[in-house]
Amino acid sequence: MKVSVIFPTKNREHHVKRAVRTAFKAKGVEEVIVVDGGSRDRTLEIAEREGARVIVQSDLVYPGKGVAMRDGAYLARGDVLVYLDIDIRNMTPEFIEKLAEPVIRGEADFVKGCFERAAGRVTELVAKPLLRMFYPELARFKQPLSGEIAGRRSLFYMVEFERGWGVDVGLLIDFHKLGARMVERDIGYKDHDMKPLHALTDMAYEVAGAILRRAIRDQKTDPEWAERYLRGVRAIDLGLESGRGFA
Amino acid sequence: MRVLLIGGGHSAYFAANSIRGIDPDGKLIIIEFTSEKVEVLSKTFPFAEVVQQEIDGVESYIRSNASILDAVIAATESDSLNLRYCKTARENAVPLIIAILNNPMNEGIFAKEGVRHIINPYGIIPVELSEILGSATNIIYKTPSGSVMVASLRIEGEDELQKIRGKLRGSEDVSTLLVSSSGEIKSSIEEADARGRLYLMGSEEKLRKILGSFRGRRR
Repeated sequence: MKVSVIFPTKNREHHVKRAVRTAFKAKGVEEVIVVDGGSRDRTLEIAEREGARVIVQSDLVYPGKGVAMRDGAYLARGDVLVYLDIDIRNMTPEFIEKLAEPVIRGEADFVKGCFERAAGRVTELVAKPLLRMFYPELARFKQPLSGEIAGRRSLFYMVEFERGWGVDVGLLIDFHKLGARMVERDIGYKDHDMKPLHALTDMAYEVAGAILRRAIRDQKTDPEWAERYLRGVRAIDLGLESGRGFA
Repeated sequence: MRVLLIGGGHSAYFAANSIRGIDPDGKLIIIEFTSEKVEVLSKTFPFAEVVQQEIDGVESYIRSNASILDAVIAATESDSLNLRYCKTARENAVPLIIAILNNPMNEGIFAKEGVRHIINPYGIIPVELSEILGSATNIIYKTPSGSVMVASLRIEGEDELQKIRGKLRGSEDVSTLLVSSSGEIKSSIEEADARGRLYLMGSEEKLRKILGSFRGRRR
């Protein structure tokens, strides 16, 4: 089975060379795709020079992680898609192999990566409580927002991608609904840039939105209550302009 | 003409209507991925054959029909898919391959893949704004092959009028039309007044040379 590795990026010229080279070293990797969100640095130029296929995501003004992931899936030719953050400093080919292996062996259709650290704040305070409420069968996932995932390419063509940060949890719920076989794999320690706390409000809102939209769709909640909840989440102001945190 | 249009969004809507106007007797086939959109498109474009295909199935469709297609227009809402389908059409020798971009920043990537006809639907915005807001020089249109260009130049004063007259003397291969400050259309530069807007049509190389000498002047 051929593997396509997809990196969503924006202004990541210092990470792209190492990431693309590492990806090409992993077993079964036939192509590496870099989907750019409008970089102003040399990310695309370097990616192309390193042999990656490149595309700028289709939404020019509001590039989002979900649009990038969708465009990556649509450009890919491999049977198995692996998504990774490009800024993982300790990335090795084994990261990719661990994610792709269960799909290649036919043991799973979708793999969620988890890593050695406590889950982040958006995960613990937003995603997990909402999943436990509406999709308790998915509560077993330690890191439901992890962006390190793998899956059969055809699976990604059967769902609508959320445009922004809700994409990872959205895919998890939608693949579950399609009856896909899903497993979580520990990919070890992940050393990467973490988002500052103030950046997490938007992320929390989008994650909550993705789960609630699906809960409404799947008739698990009252739409009016969900709307009120979403408005409430949006109104939260953490009042912190700096600080470091992670999702 | 037999045209395959891929996609069922905004771009495809305008493309379908244009194709109908250009070639009312031609055969238009529209490919869409979802059954809901196929139903809507069938009603909106009764003159077209609307086909539902899976994302991966479109390439097989192009391969199977390449020999009878005159043109493939990739107009989905994802530039990744548009690139894939253009590439397949090119590999299967479809005579005309046209991409309608979602993100103009992808133009270079499509060109590198050998797609010669790339439409940027937003390209008209700066052109129209420049004309409306009275930009001194403005490139209004360039043919896709880049050989012919239409541009405009706002004349500011007698000196500039003399200068442009001098530049156009002996340039029979540049066509001109002048709109005077009062809105009258004049076909000769000799009838121009010093506050009009001059429209020029000619080879891109020549027009760029003429416009270049007016660049950088005060607005």
